[in-house]
Amino acid sequence: MRTELTSLFGLDIYTVNGIYVGKVVDLIIDVESQSVSGIVANYINTDVFDVAGDGIIIPYRWVVTAADIVLIRDVIRRFQKKGDD
Amino acid sequence: MKYYAKRLLDNKKIMSTDAKELGMLEDIHINAKTGSIMDLVVSPADGLDVAKYQKEEDYILIPFSAVSAVKDYIIVDKDKAKSFMTR
Repeated sequence: MRTELTSLFGLDIYTVNGIYVGKVVDLIIDVESQSVSGIVANYINTDVFDVAGDGIIIPYRWVVTAADIVLIRDVIRRFQKKGDD
Repeated sequence: MKYYAKRLLDNKKIMSTDAKELGMLEDIHINAKTGSIMDLVVSPADGLDVAKYQKEEDYILIPFSAVSAVKDYIIVDKDKAKSFMTR
């Protein structure tokens, strides 16, 4: 599936469980590995990510697919504090 | 080296290894599932013979495997770029 990189800018990012994560502002390109290594996201869902700065970088290996929205694997559990059920 | 895509698209000039200007970078085709970069979408420079390049509308497609360096310009190996095979 061939996608134009600029078409990803501004897309909403959701996890496969339907939780809003943020918006794509930029992508990180790794020239050596000839791949996109990360997504720069802002408008972060602060219920999910405890962020101090403006945005986060999501590793591209978390991405399931990207078309009208960007779907990422369910990473929420991993960021919950221990004993925070 | 890692680059921000927007900065790369701003810094658009594409040069070949024989120091010729090929054109300007307009977009990049990626595989959205795997994140691998497939080709550069380039608007060809005036007078460039585009016959041997893969084309999409007014643009030429240069396979990313032909890119030999990215810094102030994007340097492309011309022989690899001309191949019709995009993997």
